[in-house]
Amino acid sequence: MVRLLERRVLHVRRGAKSAPLFIFWMILPVILIVSIFTFYPTINGIILSFENYSVFNFANIHFVGLKNFKKILVDPLFWTALWNTLWWIVLSVAFQFVLGFGLALLMREPFKGRGIYAGFVFYPWALSGFAIGILWSWLLNGQFGFINDILVKLRIVSQSINFLSDPSWAFFSVILVNVWYGIPFFAIMLLAALQSIPEELYESAQIDGAGTFSRFFHVTVPYVSSTIFATLLLRVIWVMNFPDVIYGMTRGGPGGTTNILATYMINIVYYKNDYSLASAVGVFIITILMVYSIFYLQFTSKHGSGEF
Amino acid sequence: MKKILLLTVFLLVAVFAFSSSKIVLNMVQVFTSPSRTEVLQNIINQFEALHPNVQINLISPPYSTAYQKIYLMLSTNQPLDIVEVGDWSLEGVVELGKLVDLRPYIATWDASNDIVPGLMKAVSVTGGIPYIIPNGVYAKALFYRPDILVKYGITTPPKTMDELYSDCLKITDPKKNQYGFDFRGTGLPTNFIDIIITSYINDIDPNNMYKLTNGQLWFKDPRTLEGLKKYIDFYKYTAPKDSINWGFDEQVNAFVAGTTPFLFQDPDTTGLLKTMLKPDQWMTAPLPVGPSGKVYPSYGFGGWGITTYSKNKDMAWEFIKFFTTPKISAYFCKDYGALPVLKSVYESDPYFSQGVFKAWQYMFEHPETYVFTSYPLNNKKWTEWNEFQQDTMQQVLLGNMTPQEALNKWYDFWKDAFSM
Repeated sequence: MVRLLERRVLHVRRGAKSAPLFIFWMILPVILIVSIFTFYPTINGIILSFENYSVFNFANIHFVGLKNFKKILVDPLFWTALWNTLWWIVLSVAFQFVLGFGLALLMREPFKGRGIYAGFVFYPWALSGFAIGILWSWLLNGQFGFINDILVKLRIVSQSINFLSDPSWAFFSVILVNVWYGIPFFAIMLLAALQSIPEELYESAQIDGAGTFSRFFHVTVPYVSSTIFATLLLRVIWVMNFPDVIYGMTRGGPGGTTNILATYMINIVYYKNDYSLASAVGVFIITILMVYSIFYLQFTSKHGSGEF
Repeated sequence: MKKILLLTVFLLVAVFAFSSSKIVLNMVQVFTSPSRTEVLQNIINQFEALHPNVQINLISPPYSTAYQKIYLMLSTNQPLDIVEVGDWSLEGVVELGKLVDLRPYIATWDASNDIVPGLMKAVSVTGGIPYIIPNGVYAKALFYRPDILVKYGITTPPKTMDELYSDCLKITDPKKNQYGFDFRGTGLPTNFIDIIITSYINDIDPNNMYKLTNGQLWFKDPRTLEGLKKYIDFYKYTAPKDSINWGFDEQVNAFVAGTTPFLFQDPDTTGLLKTMLKPDQWMTAPLPVGPSGKVYPSYGFGGWGITTYSKNKDMAWEFIKFFTTPKISAYFCKDYGALPVLKSVYESDPYFSQGVFKAWQYMFEHPETYVFTSYPLNNKKWTEWNEFQQDTMQQVLLGNMTPQEALNKWYDFWKDAFSM
């Protein structure tokens, strides 16, 4: 079998006429898998958004045009969720990146107990987002929460803070937890990139008189820039589609003040049982992410870091 | 060798024949909890012992996703014979056209006369046709914690909404993490909102929670605004701010912790409290009456239906009949905490008229004060209403909407829903 493959590869390399067919057969399984598990649900979701598909209405499904989109656009909760999504992404990713990068820089230097320290830094990434949401909802609970207990006992506050029921605290709280959860992703990815930087580059820079900051901005950052751009692209997409923490902590409440588009969509399924309406929200999310990805990739390719 | 081979084949055939001769019933419950599942499994075991050729598979999805699962299973004709449906979702499930009209079965069922008067009518939500046999009745009562209240000099439960409010206010001290009212902010708080608001009105139509006896909606009645303001005051001044996010679990947790010693809840809460508190730590009382001198609780119910595509409808009916015998009904209700659906259980078992169940008994015996009122469950917009009311109420509690604006929105909703 291996020999046969080798022969085929050689055949292709020689530019034989059957090369396109061979390539087709080789990529067919991938095309099929991606089509079944990605393209089909996406296309089906888009079709659903133009229908009246709900659990109460499996028997009489038909095309309803833009009705679902109109319904969403007049819902004030949608606009709150859209605005929140923007802040959710910007603040979460910015803090995750800065703190993750900082930790990666610290962990690049050898020190005693680095392995244990790295374990502590990375462990949130190994947990389920929803479980983390539940865990933090109890830690931040207004009546029985550990954090409130500590704050009151240390006399930092006179009475418990309503971290999850006061709208001015609730959104801040879910972002804080998401930052805590996402730091390891950047730390892991950027640490790997940092460890691949040849030491000679720093030595040369030092000989040329470059200081710490200069070495960081002229050696470290350019060398890991492709990783930075790739991780930022991925992370923005993931964070936008990451309702787990919010759902575990507040389910988008109180009064929709911690809703992002993803939790808003889940709530439509959960409370309204309306899959078509939820699909219309999904179409908004896909559109936003596609526009973002196109602009982002164009920007990064123009600035020489688009190949990753 | 040949003999062994033949014997093996024979045994395999015998096993196959034996197993295929069993009637398998698939049954799904809605109000799943670990203790309820255990009780149901015990009942199933008893039924299987009486019917060795029957095997019942109990499906227990989490309550939060139970209806989605049921809708999906029914819509796609997945193997399902017995379905549990609660009152608020009955109309929607029946509309799928997958539940059997039980009238022919009931016609030949002697024990049907033993069902609590009016209950079969109440469960016949769609077109007056019974699609389920009720397995438990639910109605709100006041749960309270005498052990906590006595510390504040409160020795008897409040009889009116005003007394309840002043008791709650008296004990509320956020610095001690002590509050009064066990508020329900989410998880569809319709019942909780309506109990307080309607207690300010003395002429609610018992056939429709949202109409007056003159046929008009009550949302524009000045008494309604007063009631809604009291409801908001309960949240603002006597309940933890976190309770805007509280559903059933959080309510029970806060009650058990003693943080909020006054709770409106259904009898199934007794099943939980029995395992979490000592008997002298909690008690029930009739719902407090409002300034109208009345209060309007509603009957809730769950029940068993049979799917139209079941291949074993008669056996499914046998199980439902078995479940609705006095012995099994009493066992289910004692352990789970629902109110029994059979008259004979109340008559023969003092458990359901004493102790914590005395409050319900009292309310049933005084229908002029405790006016059991029906929700418009057969209205097409009913399922939409629960979420709509919850969302608007939360906006009011957060100060983003005035009580009057909320009432106007509710009025418009029901005016449209009733085509008035």
